[in-house]
Amino acid sequence: MSLNTSLYTVKAVVILDNEAKRLYAKYFKPPHSAEDATASPFQTLKSQQSFETALFKKTHKINSDIILFDNHIVLYKEFADVVIYLVGDLNENEVLLMSCFSGLVEAFNILLKNALDKKSITENYDMVVLAIDETIDDGIILETDSAVIASRVTGPPSADAINLAKIDLSEKGLFSAFNFARAKIGERLQQL
Amino acid sequence: MSTHSYKKHDDAEGGAPDKMTVFQDCLLGFNALPVSAKKCRGLLAKLLRLLYSGETFPASEATTLFFSISKLFQHKDSSLRQLVYLAIKELSLISDDVLMVTSSIMKDVQSNELVVKPNAIRTLARVLDGSTVNAAERLMKNAVVDKNPIVASAALLSSYHLLPVARDVVKRWTNETQEAVTAQKLLPSDQFALHEYYGSSNLPSATYSYQYHALGLLYLLRNHDRMSLMKMIQQLSGNNSPLKSPMAIVQLIRFVAKIAVEDPSATQALFPLLAAYLRHKSDMVELEAAKAIVALNVTPEQFLQAINTLQVLLSAPRTVTRFAAVRVLNRISMKNPEKIVVCNAELEGLVNDPNRSISTYAITTLLKTGSSDNVDRLIKTIAKFMGDISDEFKIVVVDSIRTLALKFPEKHGAMLRFLNELLRDDGGFAFKNSIVEALFDMIRFVPASRDGALEHLCEFIEDCEFTELSVRILHLLGEEGPKTNSPTLYIRHIYNRVVLENSIIRSSAVIALSKFALLGDAAIKKNIQILLTRCLNDVDDEVRDRAAWSLKLIASDLPEAQSFVSPLNYSLPVLEQQLALYVAGDKATFATPFDIHAIPVMSEAELNAIEFREKTDAEPVTEKVEEQSDLLKTSLLQQKYSQELSEIPEIAAYGSLLHSSKVVALTEKETEFVVTTVKHVFANHLLLQYDVENTLTDIELHDVTVIAQPDSDAYAEEFSMPIDVLRAESKGTIYVSYTRPTEVGTDLLAAFGNTLSFITKEVDPDTQAADPEDDGFQDEYQIEDLEVGPGDFIVPAYMANFTSIMDALPHQQSAVFNLGDGASALLDTVAKLVTSLSMLPLENSEVVDGNSHVLKLFGKTIWGGKVGVSIRLAHNAAKGTLAKVEVRAEEENVAEMVVEGIN
Repeated sequence: MSLNTSLYTVKAVVILDNEAKRLYAKYFKPPHSAEDATASPFQTLKSQQSFETALFKKTHKINSDIILFDNHIVLYKEFADVVIYLVGDLNENEVLLMSCFSGLVEAFNILLKNALDKKSITENYDMVVLAIDETIDDGIILETDSAVIASRVTGPPSADAINLAKIDLSEKGLFSAFNFARAKIGERLQQL
Repeated sequence: MSTHSYKKHDDAEGGAPDKMTVFQDCLLGFNALPVSAKKCRGLLAKLLRLLYSGETFPASEATTLFFSISKLFQHKDSSLRQLVYLAIKELSLISDDVLMVTSSIMKDVQSNELVVKPNAIRTLARVLDGSTVNAAERLMKNAVVDKNPIVASAALLSSYHLLPVARDVVKRWTNETQEAVTAQKLLPSDQFALHEYYGSSNLPSATYSYQYHALGLLYLLRNHDRMSLMKMIQQLSGNNSPLKSPMAIVQLIRFVAKIAVEDPSATQALFPLLAAYLRHKSDMVELEAAKAIVALNVTPEQFLQAINTLQVLLSAPRTVTRFAAVRVLNRISMKNPEKIVVCNAELEGLVNDPNRSISTYAITTLLKTGSSDNVDRLIKTIAKFMGDISDEFKIVVVDSIRTLALKFPEKHGAMLRFLNELLRDDGGFAFKNSIVEALFDMIRFVPASRDGALEHLCEFIEDCEFTELSVRILHLLGEEGPKTNSPTLYIRHIYNRVVLENSIIRSSAVIALSKFALLGDAAIKKNIQILLTRCLNDVDDEVRDRAAWSLKLIASDLPEAQSFVSPLNYSLPVLEQQLALYVAGDKATFATPFDIHAIPVMSEAELNAIEFREKTDAEPVTEKVEEQSDLLKTSLLQQKYSQELSEIPEIAAYGSLLHSSKVVALTEKETEFVVTTVKHVFANHLLLQYDVENTLTDIELHDVTVIAQPDSDAYAEEFSMPIDVLRAESKGTIYVSYTRPTEVGTDLLAAFGNTLSFITKEVDPDTQAADPEDDGFQDEYQIEDLEVGPGDFIVPAYMANFTSIMDALPHQQSAVFNLGDGASALLDTVAKLVTSLSMLPLENSEVVDGNSHVLKLFGKTIWGGKVGVSIRLAHNAAKGTLAKVEVRAEEENVAEMVVEGIN
């Protein structure tokens, strides 16, 4: 058993639809690694896609959470018409990967209001990709708590028409209004 | 940019959007005034969708996009900026001009903007490189100590990413990182974009992920300094550990395990640290601790503690936890099945697990742990659920049973019954084929099971829907049937096929029948002739041809007829190699026909030995590593040697090569001159082949030779072939030849003291050659002694029933030794004996169980006689290993030699 003391634990996150077509696929590699990237089996788009197709075949309609596939640990969950995969190294701690995976899936559920399907993923693609970015940063697990992940993801900005009317009701505007009020109230209270 | 690359996609069903359209829309949208946040975020989402589907942009377009996206930094809306950061992060992979956004990003890092500050920090790590990272030092330092855990995590991760290119800079915040590991950072409650259906009450007050990141970074900063690493581990482990994050603890366990692996002497001191984590509230910590312990060299009691933890995890509700635990156990079972017998009850419970991988692991593990006591019960347990599982899985089980059958030949009764029941069940071809394969192997390697297995196969072909299987079984009946006590029994079964089946099966049945006729029994021969005569009227020409041919053969009484019954087994790899050589040659080679007699013929026993090895080593698990069989490799290597040697005229005169030893190293691998040797045995000579490697870069060696001094007068040096010039960093071969005693006996055993002798000359670094004027100076280099033992005159061979063969061998010698060396475990001793005697361990006796053991070895001498060795070993920590050796051999004096050699 080789000991992995590095923080780079997650190799890829992939979301496929029910025909094995990609909705999202990100194969992680360290951004400044000196290591030769050709060592990775997922270097080309072609090798990635053949991996995905074979994996989909192996897992479609068989919900067993975890399999060993092509020298990787793959955690997956199938929903109505999408499958979410998380790929890790063969010697990785399975439970550690699982806690990351379930954190991510649960965050999706919060963000997509329990409607985890192809339609809502494509419609809310911005939130989905932000959630993944807040869970895993280039292969390093950033956070595993679903509530924290979901809370880090901003919703889409409100309509722009109001912006034009110089009333800032966007997320930030509300925050600053709230912060302003809080500061004022704090001052008042201290004065008392 | 060709129009082709922007081919319009059919975008009706929500597929990936068209690349060109998105590109144009993005440029328009981002450059519009005023910028619409909502619209731009939608466009960015589309752009990311493209990138994540595997599309890329040429660098120039990526840069254009990059420029227009950077305009969005001005926008006040943080939800837009959050997505902008992600887009920049992705585009930074394909665009070269990333540095120009540094200042915009820095502005957000400096701000106290709660939403995008962490995103800004993480993106910063992508746009900086080794030369520009200095500018961010103060910002990063501040962020690491930020009391907001998310900001701290982002900064720690970014430092981690930057470490390979900016180690010196990142080092400057080692102290801050150290602080972060132990600090308490609570999530601020007011920074979150909370979503509907989900209130702030569900948010934890802290998740401590930053500890995991800080610990990972700290390790990389310190891993060259073992003292401070140990200090850190001491500080962070134990009851008052500040570590709250289970992931951080997992990381800590890995550090401890790594130190223990690198320095085995520290294992016992570190064990309590690991053991403390075997009981933890988080599965992942328990699992990691158990994994770490089983990989270390610990005492059996300590090992058992880890096994107990895994045992508990086996009944965890989470699939993944059970999977992880059973996987670790499966790995242990391959080497030390006896150590996990305690888990058998739990493993049996997992046999019906809904996750197929878990149940497969459980079954194969159980079958590995099977000892001769519980095999019967195990098979019964498995038989119960065989009906519920898929074919694919049944094959895995049958394969495991097959391995088990070869391991415990005495249990063949139960296995046969089990396989027979499976054979009657419904199933596809692959499944039936695996059962038939298993039965074939049992017939070959477990002679006691032959009659029973043949009978089952006969019944099977009565009602078999697969032509291919029927043909194979008929062939086997033809091979094995005549050897049984009542061959007539099978004739009826075979002839039934002739009557009832299709032409392919009929023709193979005809051949099988004819083999019975060659037994030498006149009555049978006559009957077969009658049966075959009937086949002459068959509707199919192939069947008629075969019948006619067989009748002719039977009637002829030719000696070739016998070779039809037991054909010669040519060594296929050698045959292939020779044929390839022959075909590759020029016209001259074709003048002489290919000489089949040059190909070594393998006896059935040798063939069996090779296959037996393959079969018992094969792991029916997905993680198996393909490895060529050792024996096969040896025979190929032998072929190579004999070819090389026959090219040297002096050596070619010695006749054919009888045996070559394994490669023996005479020096450490890291020395200036690396010497390995191979011993070649010829009819009257012993040839030592020394392979010398000169690892020095500035020294050249001349007249390199080995002065080998035998300690016995029986060997006399005949000639020595030195290396004239051994250049820097090159390899060469020296041959030293001796006449060897022709008589079998203890005289053959000898030890050679070796000294490497040479003239050194310095190499001119410019010309890469030695100065011709330089006379150099004579030097010698002491290398280790070389022993010639009994193993050099024995080749491994397979024998099915060891005990009865042993008893039949006439010459016997026995002795008792103390092999000394109290520390080395029995397993090592056994492995050493097997290699040094170069014999095949039989009846699974190379697997050691406990403190006493019987090793059964079998081989053939180069003179052709059989030799069997039975060594009873007892290990005692105080006295070392005691061995009672009993050797029996076909030829005189062989037994004495082997006994002497073991001592």
